Amino acid sequence: MDFEMERFISALIDRSPPHALVHLQLVLIPVIIAFLIAFPVAVLLTRRRFVKYTDRVMTFFNMGQTIPPLAIIAIFFPFLGLGREPALFALTIYALLPIARNTLAGLKGVPQEVKEAARGVGMSEWEMLMRVEIPLSMPVVMAGVKISVVLTSGTAALGALVGGGGMGAVIFAGIDFFRPELIVAGTLIIGAIAIILDRIITLIDYMLTPPHMKM
Amino acid sequence: MIVLDKVDKIFPGTTVPAVKQVSFQVDEGNICVFVGPSGCGKTTILRIINRLIEPTSGDIYIKGIKVSDKEVNPDHLRREIGYVIQQIGLLPHRTVEQNVALVPRLLKWPEEKIKPRVKELLDTVGLDPDEVIHKYPFQLSGGMMQRVGVARALAADPPIMLMDEPFGAVDPIVRGRLQDEFLRLQREMKKTICFVTHDINEAIKMGDHIVIMNKGELVQHGTPMEILSEPANEFVKDLIGADREIKLLDLTRSSEIVNRNMDIPDEVREKDCFISSIAPVQRALEKMMKKNSDLVGVQDGEEEIGTISWDDIKKLINKLSGDD
Repeated sequence: MDFEMERFISALIDRSPPHALVHLQLVLIPVIIAFLIAFPVAVLLTRRRFVKYTDRVMTFFNMGQTIPPLAIIAIFFPFLGLGREPALFALTIYALLPIARNTLAGLKGVPQEVKEAARGVGMSEWEMLMRVEIPLSMPVVMAGVKISVVLTSGTAALGALVGGGGMGAVIFAGIDFFRPELIVAGTLIIGAIAIILDRIITLIDYMLTPPHMKM
Repeated sequence: MIVLDKVDKIFPGTTVPAVKQVSFQVDEGNICVFVGPSGCGKTTILRIINRLIEPTSGDIYIKGIKVSDKEVNPDHLRREIGYVIQQIGLLPHRTVEQNVALVPRLLKWPEEKIKPRVKELLDTVGLDPDEVIHKYPFQLSGGMMQRVGVARALAADPPIMLMDEPFGAVDPIVRGRLQDEFLRLQREMKKTICFVTHDINEAIKMGDHIVIMNKGELVQHGTPMEILSEPANEFVKDLIGADREIKLLDLTRSSEIVNRNMDIPDEVREKDCFISSIAPVQRALEKMMKKNSDLVGVQDGEEEIGTISWDDIKKLINKLSGDD
């Protein structure tokens, strides 16, 4: 296989950008949906009434990550078919676990004496959750979001196999036609997407981190 | 002010009650100290009063209102009761100002009332408002944090305070200072206070009334003097320790045993061996040892009112310890 610089640059500049945009969607949409599911569920699991369901729910989230997304697409093929939707669906399930696990860990890490004092001065459970528990657990929660984003950035390449598009399309074209330029270009851009998203979340994380943890 | 009536608490999954048939009353404006070894149920009692723990049976009344009633909202109840714990539990992500203003804000006080209140409180607990108000808890020393904790508990001027080993986490010197300052504060505030400690000395120093607990049961209650002079059983005696007589001397004012209208010998005058009539008898003893004298003069302000002799102190010890 020859590596032609001209073809590589054209792959990077001309061919990749539309795929990169789709890829970005394949990362952001699943992670956002996964957050909207995993975060509230994990918060509920730390409430006294729901603690007993923790193991069962976490097993479900664990399965979501251990079963390969391709297998999930295959299982749900009769209902969702091929294309963008099943890819988004599978990636969402894949992204749930790190967010749920870190939310649990973050909330459990809030110091007992702080919760005791907050209850003792008369905060309701809701006030304590919103003003004490969630703010103090934010750094750990955001670390989970970051893991989800980076994992999904790589895994989203498989979306192309089921017609979901994204940078996977460029890489698999490279494999099919023995064009290493395409493979390298696709990989580089996925890497870049992962790094850029990671930096953006780090920034959000910094803004959400309670002041005493920044100093 | 606070009445507990036959309160039981059995924690789920245990058979031995953590609190067994405890009844007592705390009078308005008094400091009632709960003392006993770890696991004796003293902290559980405190947390039952503000319903952080619900009793298995029994009733709690505050100002005649049955607060153990299901219809009383425990969150609202707790906003009316100051709460200080050993671990302090300041919100680490909030400034000192926000921590102290916590309860007033929960009670939806107008902001213009909160700002001056916070400054006033920090001042009261001996902190410089301008210096600490914008700091975060981690930037404070242990003693300062505990002062902020007390300020937070006092913020909405609750008539009742619950304090669980509030000075337990600081070194003995700072603890002594915090105790003294708190007692001085209490003289003006006249709060009704339930105070938990495992330290009998702290109990004697802080308490108007002492409740001694062991294994969930109330063993003895009374004034420090009553407890020291008539310990109910061996357990109480052990808890008080071997220096019971010395502690008694610390609780008796010199004015109680002074021989009035006795002439003060020149020798005492030469050695400048005087104490104040409100000082504890222990101070008289110390003075005697320091000045190598068998007699001290007692002054009420500038006026000389009499003397205390070594024999007087011995008589007092014999009387108090019931050995005569």
